[in-house]
Amino acid sequence: MCVQVLLVEDDERIRQALSLALSDEDFTVDEAGSGEEALRRLETERFDVVLVDLTLPGIDGLEVVRTLRSRGDLPIIVVTARTDAHDVIAGLEAGADDYVTKPLMASVLAARIRALLRRRGPTRDTVRIGDLEIRPQEGLVHRAGERVHLTRTEFRLLLELAGAGGRIVTREQLLQKVWGYDYFGDTRLLDVHIRRLRRKVEANPDDPVLVLTVRGAGYRIRS
Amino acid sequence: MRLTLRCRVTLSFGFGLLVVTSVLAIATWNLASGYMLRQREVSATRQAEVNVRLVERSLSSPGLDELLTGLTTGPDSSILVLSPAGMVTAGRAVEPSQLPPDLVRHPPGQERITVDGRPVIAVTRRVAGDAVYVELFPLQQLDRTFGFLGGVLIAGTIASALLGAALGSWASKRALKPLAELSSAAGRIAGGDLGARLPDQDDPDLAALAAKFNSTAHALEQRALRDARFASDVSHELRSPLTTMVNAGAVLRRRREHLPGTAGTALELLTSEVDRFARMVVDLLEISRADQTDDYEPEELELSALVRNVIATRWRAVPVSATPVRVRGDRRRLDRVLANLMENAERHAGGAIFVAVRQDGEVARVEVEDDGPGVPEALREQIFERFARGRPGSRGDDTGSGLGLALVREHVHRHRGRVWVEDRFPRGARFVVELPAITKS
Repeated sequence: MCVQVLLVEDDERIRQALSLALSDEDFTVDEAGSGEEALRRLETERFDVVLVDLTLPGIDGLEVVRTLRSRGDLPIIVVTARTDAHDVIAGLEAGADDYVTKPLMASVLAARIRALLRRRGPTRDTVRIGDLEIRPQEGLVHRAGERVHLTRTEFRLLLELAGAGGRIVTREQLLQKVWGYDYFGDTRLLDVHIRRLRRKVEANPDDPVLVLTVRGAGYRIRS
Repeated sequence: MRLTLRCRVTLSFGFGLLVVTSVLAIATWNLASGYMLRQREVSATRQAEVNVRLVERSLSSPGLDELLTGLTTGPDSSILVLSPAGMVTAGRAVEPSQLPPDLVRHPPGQERITVDGRPVIAVTRRVAGDAVYVELFPLQQLDRTFGFLGGVLIAGTIASALLGAALGSWASKRALKPLAELSSAAGRIAGGDLGARLPDQDDPDLAALAAKFNSTAHALEQRALRDARFASDVSHELRSPLTTMVNAGAVLRRRREHLPGTAGTALELLTSEVDRFARMVVDLLEISRADQTDDYEPEELELSALVRNVIATRWRAVPVSATPVRVRGDRRRLDRVLANLMENAERHAGGAIFVAVRQDGEVARVEVEDDGPGVPEALREQIFERFARGRPGSRGDDTGSGLGLALVREHVHRHRGRVWVEDRFPRGARFVVELPAITKS
């Protein structure tokens, strides 16, 4: 399998070095030097994953992420040199599936991309929680008969919680299973995704009844 | 102990008004009582003279007793007529011996005296050559008036002193209000709220102070913002080329076999130093951000689970003994603390051999043990300093950033905890982190 990666980065040297290193990791890397170029190419060409630098001239990275997310569930990893909490959270809120901070190693990035693209075997039957219906085989979620559009990551997160059947799933387990990579529990990554998921599946995201927080332990789905 | 300014102003207002009103009260007392006494004396004298003339006319008649009784002005007044033939009295009984002898012997005269404990004005007049007329006018009424007057004056003095104190307290509070505002604003700035400002002041005396304070606070805020922006820019500017270098290095390292001999050795040197440099920059940026509060997100967490999780990522072989203990902390920072301690053990002592988590009374303890050469006593403080190197056993192949343990200490202090290193028996070192535990359920 050859994974098509679009790297959106305005710094030409970083772009070159990252493409070389990612090619070594067996990815096919295409480069875009600006947000406009990336959006244009994404309209016609097919990619498996997009890497977006947050600080771009013209249309900035956040806007690129937002536009892409509105178009569909293409996996997006934000690459940022800004490590302030609000920059990271803004990127995730805009719809990114994951983020890495510079200076990043291509090997780390490759592991994240593989985790993001890994698909579970279609082994599970349809799961019903309240008025929510999850069909893992088709990757569809319906709420009260109406289709809910989840990104791939949100879907996997929901599936992990639903699979536990009401038992507590710790943050570490979720991070490991959904993002598939043994790195230290970054609360922001998980928190923002839980928030995004609740916005889509809960009737009132501020007072969740399906995806419940277990303080100090993790999350669980209403059984 | 020195009194507060407000207390002193209050006291001096009260005391000042006390002095002024007591001087006024004393003067009032003296003038009023003297005047009233003189009036009483004049009227007593006049009355006595009228009476003397009446007595003179009927001195030898038998109706003298009756006349005298009629002349007394009340139960407290007394009249004595002393003649060589004897003494006639009327009104309250008084012995002549109770009167001053000089007064009786050499009339006419008048004097204020006390008879039977009662203040009186005694007036003496000569009657018909050799008799002496003595009349005692009671002063009780006047005394009561004096008592009342005195009471009013004292009460007034006390009241005005209290009023003065209240006025002083109010005035000082009003005068000090801007100072209290200043103090609260300064406190907020010291607490990290750089947006704190003083409200605009109408008073020209205070407007200058407020303006000065606000401009200072503004400059401080601007400077903090500039510093933060600079740190952020530095971070960005350093991270970008490092990304290029690290990844170009990785590409080169993959092709190591194409570069034999000297070039290959140089390549290894270059790439390993680039990696180390990258780690150093990342740590340095983190440590310079450590005192910023923006992304410190404490939450209640299970320390033993956190420790097990970190150990499971890269050090699965290390045995862990963990009993549940809850702490309030920032997950990312605590992960970093433990990972750095593990990496430190790896780098200097061939890896950790045992990790323990337990509650020890009020504190949660994390211990990372190794069986390396240990840390000599003299270096136990120093190794937690930034860029402190030269721990024995670390030869030239040290690949650390020199900031790992400094970051550990920084993060532990942020959690109001302690970290230190001690000897382990029979050999090796034990790094101990103590954090405040959540003890109540």
